[in-house]
Amino acid sequence: MFERVDAGLLPLCEYVANSWLGTHMKASRWAFAITEMVHLIALAILGGGMLTTALCASGAIWKGRPLYAVTRDLAPWIATGLGMLVASGALLFADGPLRYYANGAFRIKLALLIAAVLVGLAAMRAAATASRARSNHPILTVLVLCDALLWLGVGIAGRVIGII
Amino acid sequence: MTAVRRTILPDPPARRTEQRQVGGAVASILDICRWLADSGLATRLRESDNLFSALEAAHVIGIVGVAGTIAIADLRVLGLLLKTVPVAEVLTPLAKVAWGGFALMAATGVPLFCAEAAALYANGAFWAKLALIAAAGLNQWLFHHHLAREMARPPGSLSVAAPARWSAAASLTLWMAIIISGRAIAYV
Repeated sequence: MFERVDAGLLPLCEYVANSWLGTHMKASRWAFAITEMVHLIALAILGGGMLTTALCASGAIWKGRPLYAVTRDLAPWIATGLGMLVASGALLFADGPLRYYANGAFRIKLALLIAAVLVGLAAMRAAATASRARSNHPILTVLVLCDALLWLGVGIAGRVIGII
Repeated sequence: MTAVRRTILPDPPARRTEQRQVGGAVASILDICRWLADSGLATRLRESDNLFSALEAAHVIGIVGVAGTIAIADLRVLGLLLKTVPVAEVLTPLAKVAWGGFALMAATGVPLFCAEAAALYANGAFWAKLALIAAAGLNQWLFHHHLAREMARPPGSLSVAAPARWSAAASLTLWMAIIISGRAIAYV
């Protein structure tokens, strides 16, 4: 199955590389630079939200406050960061899709990103259930902490892309 | 997906240096930068791709820690996030986390600077970043000055006065500018 997905990705990468967006991102030095700046700001937005939620889940801050309320309150902020991160990341990818296709760290980053989004969605669902019941469930704590670790992995894999 | 684009710029001409008195001998900022760049630690960092990259990654994590948590505190002060939580309850623990992020940012930023000190001397974006960090620090001091009055209000207060809100808006803008100027270092 993975081989079939992999074989389908190469033509897609070639298409993006030869598209107007791909050639523009490659030719314009400042388009890449500005997109990188937006990507970092998005990382700070998402990272700050995730770090705060994870610290609350671990009991390091806001011990008396229910985790479901904090998760629910910070969700729009984290979603904003995620939206900016994915949009700017797609533009950065357009700068060199074939280079990223061959980069192992990029593949790991994508896999971790998908896992982080899925775990984040599961955490949101658990928070909604806990909010209705007006009581925290240990599964929410586990999901929030796993999500924070996955996002840390996404960030580290992102830095490794430029090294290997 | 931030690709490593490390640019080693040529040393700037000596005539552009600002002279200052250091320990009785006339030394310029550029001389100090060159001395730092020639030090053993700086040379080792430049020659080791992995060490430099690890420091860069830790530097980014530090920036995310400080800017990300300060942004949440600022948005709370502006009444845009965590509206039902008292201001002091949000700010006190997040300030500790932000200081931790700042410590990581500074601890990794100093060796990163040493590695390319001579080149960074001529980099406008680097000086802009330092000036913006100083401005953010001053703003933070003013913020706490205003907030001290807020703390005297009844406990659990959900709103803050206008000066603290202006300070929070300035803080958000400054930290965004710090991230932008930091990234611009590789491009100017």
